Amino acid sequence: MTDNDDHVGKPAAVGRRQFLKAAGITASGVLAAPAILKFTSVASAADRTNLTFASAKFFGKRTVAEMVDVFNQSQSRILVRYDELPPPSSSTEVHQGLVQRLAKKDGSPDVFTQDVVWIAEFAGAGWALPLDEYVTADEAGAYFPGVLAACKWQGKLTALPWYVDSGMLYYRKDLVSKAPETWEELVAAATDIMKAGKAKIGFSWQAKQAEVLICDLVEFVTSNGGSILGDDGKTVHIADDAAVEAVQFMYDTIEKYKISPPDVRSWDEEPSRTPFTGGDVAFLRNWSYVYPICQDAKASSVVDKVGVVPLPHFAKGKSAACLGGYQYGVNASTKNRDASVEFLKWLSSPETQLLFATELGLAPSRPAVFDSAELGKAQPFMQTLKPVFVGATARPVTPKYSQVSLALQSAVSKAVTNGNVADALKEAKAKLEGIVGA
Amino acid sequence: MTTLPSVGLVAGSRRSKRLTQRSRAERWAPLLFLLPAALTLLTVSVYPVIDGLRLSLRNTMLSTQEDAFVGLSNYVRLTADPDFWSAWRHTMLFTAASTLLETVLGMAMAIVLYETFKGRGWVRAAMLVPWAIPTVVTSKMFGWLFDGQHGVVNWLLMQTGLIDGYVNWYGDSQTALLTIIIADVWKTTPFMALLLLAGLQTVPHSLVEAARIDGAGPWQCFWSIRLPLLFTTLLIAGMFRALDAFRIFDLVYVLTGGGPADSTEVLSTLSYKVLFSGLDFGYGSALSAAMFITEALIALGFGLFIVRRMRRDNG
Repeated sequence: MTDNDDHVGKPAAVGRRQFLKAAGITASGVLAAPAILKFTSVASAADRTNLTFASAKFFGKRTVAEMVDVFNQSQSRILVRYDELPPPSSSTEVHQGLVQRLAKKDGSPDVFTQDVVWIAEFAGAGWALPLDEYVTADEAGAYFPGVLAACKWQGKLTALPWYVDSGMLYYRKDLVSKAPETWEELVAAATDIMKAGKAKIGFSWQAKQAEVLICDLVEFVTSNGGSILGDDGKTVHIADDAAVEAVQFMYDTIEKYKISPPDVRSWDEEPSRTPFTGGDVAFLRNWSYVYPICQDAKASSVVDKVGVVPLPHFAKGKSAACLGGYQYGVNASTKNRDASVEFLKWLSSPETQLLFATELGLAPSRPAVFDSAELGKAQPFMQTLKPVFVGATARPVTPKYSQVSLALQSAVSKAVTNGNVADALKEAKAKLEGIVGA
Repeated sequence: MTTLPSVGLVAGSRRSKRLTQRSRAERWAPLLFLLPAALTLLTVSVYPVIDGLRLSLRNTMLSTQEDAFVGLSNYVRLTADPDFWSAWRHTMLFTAASTLLETVLGMAMAIVLYETFKGRGWVRAAMLVPWAIPTVVTSKMFGWLFDGQHGVVNWLLMQTGLIDGYVNWYGDSQTALLTIIIADVWKTTPFMALLLLAGLQTVPHSLVEAARIDGAGPWQCFWSIRLPLLFTTLLIAGMFRALDAFRIFDLVYVLTGGGPADSTEVLSTLSYKVLFSGLDFGYGSALSAAMFITEALIALGFGLFIVRRMRRDNG
């Protein structure tokens, strides 16, 4: 996904986790640290099915490794070993690590977590086990539809949702009486606020030539009824009128309406966030990690002045939020299919999602979990995000996503810098057709 | 009697055999000692280059599991790829500009530091600080210095009246590469200064003294004595710097990611994207091979210059 996840949690218990992991590898029950005693009491059962679970490293109050321990202690048939990959902020390295492991096709890891944009790639390569026979229609219906759609490749379910994040609109409640619903309203409100001198910047977003530019692009284009690739993943719509208008609007926020400073061209998440929490910005497009920072009096001058709503849309479109987050997958060459599916279902169950939400700050991908009282108590803000996540939209679904993204980053950066929108997108179309074309 | 010479002969041939044995051992021993170094070089330097060239003739793609021999088609694609050529131009421009600026400024610093003054030792040590700072830190630092909204560079230029509006340094495709060149000059000039200072110290002081007695001013001393004698050092230092600058990666990666509008995309960042984000090892290797060839040509150009210069100096 993007760089946002490293801001999700507080650093905690890293040393202990690594300790646990080392203990897991040596399986020695000799040392008498309490943490190890807890672990070895589980590890002693030698007749359990052994699974490996590879995941990027997330942490909050607890860690992914500790969640795996929870599973190991909850039953006595399966023993899961955690194979830790780098944090999601090092997305390229996590991707490499997974590709190297899966390409060996030796069944390890049995279960893994993947960024939502890799699902098609892993499914297309035949590395991800199709899960349709293990997940009933009722079970599938319990997730956000946008997230579930992103877990499918050519009609087959090849991933199961873990947590969800998406783009959203932050606005200053003290400056705006009503949050804008269309981009037009946003431009008008931002212009008024800037004219009145209440904020230096009307609208802050991210146009750095990086993955986040594609996330913003998806939101603008989809909210105008357009798309980047067709549903078949092979036709290219980036040069269609709806997309051109949307990208023109991205350029216009900077050069025509002047509600966004030219600096957004070099801003990714954090540089776009700092002036907002500094009190200089009226509207900000960003991920869910920003809210806790807004409410932290030490880092923010806008405590209790910030509201969050779904992103605006154009007259002929609907609000769209770019879907982020990591999802689960099962290795197609696993030697323990049943045990893997059992672990997978435990991971994606409502109880575990609630645990991930309260302990690691990862938003559930099941709407029902949002309504639980425990979540309301532990993460009141997260609970309010439900309407935002309902409109979550996937980025282009294609096994060649990385190449598509790089080509788009270059083209859209050119479009919003030079303003030759139609030409840049036509060029991008030709390039994309070369990449995904049949 | 007749047996004696034959005995002597036998003894002689035996001795010569022992001799050849020893000389053979003497011949092999140095090679044996060289073996670890040669093996290390072969495995970490020669093999990767050859394997890179081999990969550049295939369509190896990790994610789609394609891996077939495709001849020169990657190179054909390369010559027609505008992204490659624009990255190539940016890299060459960056290399030329940063090497030139660093050499001129480094020369000036070296001349100042060559003179004796109070606290020279401290200044010489302090001078190396920018070079010792990790490049990622330098990048972040220049990110803040040149920030378009709150950067101190903009503020200073406004105060002195040199600009009448804030410049969006690395967010504007006109100035982004310039910002990166400035950051690199700040970081690496001390290194050039150090190399040139070492060169200056090899210029015999007696020559300068003799010239002064003959009435040469400081400017003349520099142009007619120090600079010509320093020229070989200058070329070698320039070659080092140019080859190093050609591989520029971290400054760009951290500061701009190649943007905006590809204006700072250099060969290293482009091949990193193709190789490790796209996992397109075939085409990525062709890109790396093109980098390797360009670097080899730069080295060859400098090398020829240096050799000619040395011949002239010696002959």
